[in-house]
Amino acid sequence: MRPLTETETQTLFSKLANYMGPSIKNLIAPPDANPSTDQTRMSFRLGNQNRVYYCSEYLANLSTCVARENLLSVGTCLGKFTKTGKFRLHVTSLNVIAPHARYKLWVKQNGVMPFLYGGNIVKAHVGRWSEDCPEHQGVVVLGMDDMPLGFGVTAKSTAQARRVEPTGIVCFRQADVGEYLREEDTLFTTT
Amino acid sequence: MAPTRTVKSKLSSKDKRNPKGSGKPGAALGANTKSKVSKKPKAPPPKQQKTKSAAPAKKKKRVYTEKELGIPKLNMITPVGVESPKGKKKGKVFVDDQESMMTILAIVTADKEGQIESKMMKSRQMEDIREARRKEAEARQEQRKSKLEETKNSMRKKRKSKSNIDVDKDYLESSSKYMKDAKANRKRVSFA
Repeated sequence: MRPLTETETQTLFSKLANYMGPSIKNLIAPPDANPSTDQTRMSFRLGNQNRVYYCSEYLANLSTCVARENLLSVGTCLGKFTKTGKFRLHVTSLNVIAPHARYKLWVKQNGVMPFLYGGNIVKAHVGRWSEDCPEHQGVVVLGMDDMPLGFGVTAKSTAQARRVEPTGIVCFRQADVGEYLREEDTLFTTT
Repeated sequence: MAPTRTVKSKLSSKDKRNPKGSGKPGAALGANTKSKVSKKPKAPPPKQQKTKSAAPAKKKKRVYTEKELGIPKLNMITPVGVESPKGKKKGKVFVDDQESMMTILAIVTADKEGQIESKMMKSRQMEDIREARRKEAEARQEQRKSKLEETKNSMRKKRKSKSNIDVDKDYLESSSKYMKDAKANRKRVSFA
């Protein structure tokens, strides 16, 4: 495990900024954190298979006691760097993103299962959405009971989406909590 | 006994070396010292002179290696990214402190905000253009409809004004003719 380099930090932040906007600063310096202690100071660490973990500095320092091949995970896995140097968010990052999401989309009860099975969101399934959301912007998908279900990218801006027919796609799926079952074999493996 | 022998032997050896020298031991010794004295000043000075004169002329020129000069090697293509700049530290530079993370974050958010803003502006402009086009199309449709209505009305008026008197006369004439024709054309059947 090592800290991120400058370019890595930049790519990670630009990806997170798609979903969270300027509130990423809540990740770096949580409002309830005490800067004098390690336990509340948060950090990003690059682990095996180019995975990025979000954990407290205290935990990251403790993890140095464990051999690299024995260390499965530390803190929350946000995603991984691809071979081309881009960053791909995993569904495990939903816990970190959802509380600070900038744009949200609420799915009706009849649209929850199609989304959790890996489908895109059609207009007929949308219960509510954030106003003034541009095209190709990251959004967090929630159920009508405000339960985060995943995240995606808008296919159309809110103004355009109003004129789309009910079967038209308004959000492309990026990750959903159904992956915990569908991708069970590969989500946490190290080899 | 022993020292005399040794002297003899010494002399004999010296005699061999110097064939012109006398057999007396004193003379032989004197000759030897003379020759030594005469040889000494003659031989060394030229040598010394040579070394002194040769030293500044033969000063070795310093040969620089290619590395020292920093000249790029010939016929070698080195991609831009591969060769690291001189004097730069090797290895990765990690970002682990909050301040540097915050500066990176500021750059990223400013960039993203700009992108979102430009997207919104673009979409708003497009929306305005679409709205204007829609209104124009509606106005054109209205115009076309009103024109059609006008022509319809004018046609109706024309028909009414023509018909009132003429149509009645025509109708009477045509009907009387029809009645006469019908009577003439009627087939009759008679039984004998």
